[in-house]
Amino acid sequence: MTAVRIRRAAFALILLAALYGVAAWIGQGRLPDRVWMGAHYVENVQLLPTFPSLFEEAGFLLESGILPASAAVSLLRVLAGLLLGSTVGILVGLATGRASRAESLADPWVSALRFTPALALLPLFVAWFGYGEISKVLLIASGVAVVTLLGAHQGVRSVPRVYLEAAASLGARGAFAFRKIVLPLAFPAIFASLRVAIALAWVTIVVAELIDARMPSLGYLLALSGAYPRVPTMLVSIGTVGLLVLVSDLLALLLHARATRWMGRAA
Amino acid sequence: MRRDTRHRMLLRAVSVAALAAAYMLVAWRVSRPDVVPPAGHLVEAFADLVGRGYQLPSAPGEEHHHHHHSSDQVETLVRGGVTLQASLAISAARVAFGLLVGLPLGILIGFFMGWSRRADDYLHPIFVLVRSVPPLALITYVMLWLGHSEAHRLIPIVYAVATTAVIPAYHGVRDVASKYVIAARALGARGRLLYLRVLLPAAAPAVLGGLRYSLAIAWMTAVGAEMLMAENGMGNLLVGGGMWASRTQTASDPAVIIVGILALAGAGWAMDALARATTARLTRWVRA
Repeated sequence: MTAVRIRRAAFALILLAALYGVAAWIGQGRLPDRVWMGAHYVENVQLLPTFPSLFEEAGFLLESGILPASAAVSLLRVLAGLLLGSTVGILVGLATGRASRAESLADPWVSALRFTPALALLPLFVAWFGYGEISKVLLIASGVAVVTLLGAHQGVRSVPRVYLEAAASLGARGAFAFRKIVLPLAFPAIFASLRVAIALAWVTIVVAELIDARMPSLGYLLALSGAYPRVPTMLVSIGTVGLLVLVSDLLALLLHARATRWMGRAA
Repeated sequence: MRRDTRHRMLLRAVSVAALAAAYMLVAWRVSRPDVVPPAGHLVEAFADLVGRGYQLPSAPGEEHHHHHHSSDQVETLVRGGVTLQASLAISAARVAFGLLVGLPLGILIGFFMGWSRRADDYLHPIFVLVRSVPPLALITYVMLWLGHSEAHRLIPIVYAVATTAVIPAYHGVRDVASKYVIAARALGARGRLLYLRVLLPAAAPAVLGGLRYSLAIAWMTAVGAEMLMAENGMGNLLVGGGMWASRTQTASDPAVIIVGILALAGAGWAMDALARATTARLTRWVRA
């Protein structure tokens, strides 16, 4: 059964690649290479670059070290933002899930932040902290914090009261019950929210880097290739971002499966 | 019970008041209105942006020349005829378009993949690839194909909404509906009856639950697209024509940005409340 699924997946992906290759091959010389860019025409644009030119570009970007360096910069920002945001978010979410007083205190701010599009905070952070690392990491962290806070809150709230009562009647209460009952049961919800947060972090950072395109990073590479415009570079950068998102999502899934193995169910 | 509710409301009010007071204290201590604008400036910026009480400073000899807080960003925006409500309406229209086109598209793909094992096997790997690409990363590429137009702002929003709508619809059909489908089939239901009376209602709660995610993603993508390349909308209001490297730099004013963020939060909350009310109305039968 799985063999069939793998065969079908491979078939679909190969077919997609082949279709693109054929389209690019037919398009060569037929697609317009003069493109209107808002203010002026640009010459020599390959709207659909062929596979050889894509591979050549990818090879150049890899060999010159531009692509690895850019990816590393963006990856570090995402990791820093995730670490900061999820720490704050999970801690506050656990508190609001556990104590209704904390929930009432945090509620107005959580709901205000929750409905703010994360990217809208970027100009404010830039005005306060300037262009650079702090505003980008804070931007990711604020988006991640809201998502993980809601996940942790929901996770704590979804613990059946019976469990806590049973534990209390056996003498477990307070911090002990929290550590042994609430935390393990809230874990899947927290992890699910973390997975959403990882995707959000990538979307946020690429756009933040596009808007404030200064330092070498994936967003900068995208902005640069858009300014010339150089489509092979653009597509290779888009592909790299997609690959990184895919890999981080797979890693999160693997971790999730590993961490919830004790529950004895498929992740 | 009522005392409990009152207690909670009190705590909420205390929380809001404490943070507002802390903000005002910081604004007063720092006394840098260009960085931390005091509450008065926020109110003025709001009034200017909704189009009241602002006189263009180019008119000399004005009678009521009280100290009006005006910054580069407010000036640029007001000169350009930008108002808060118009920007909000434009962004909301873009979001609505993204939902109108993206939701049916995403839900159809999700239903298709959830319904047919074969389609799932073929399409899921491609979907995973497509989903991994941040919608706004495509904006320049779309622009090369379609020129500088409304299309390259709308396409990323549609793309974002569609890719987020697929997963709830997929799980709604595959996980939720299967037992109902088996039961209905055993009773002889097939064809349109099966689709309209069994499958659709069974998947509805999951699909509508996904609506709220799509809404949040649509707003974020719309604002991002407007920050990157648009001459109007909330994203443009926030960056005030600055920031994006190819434009002329305007000194940005935190007062405008804070007012804009609050307006966006309000609009997002209102649309989410609408989505929740719609969901509750359409899935009333679930609780019955």
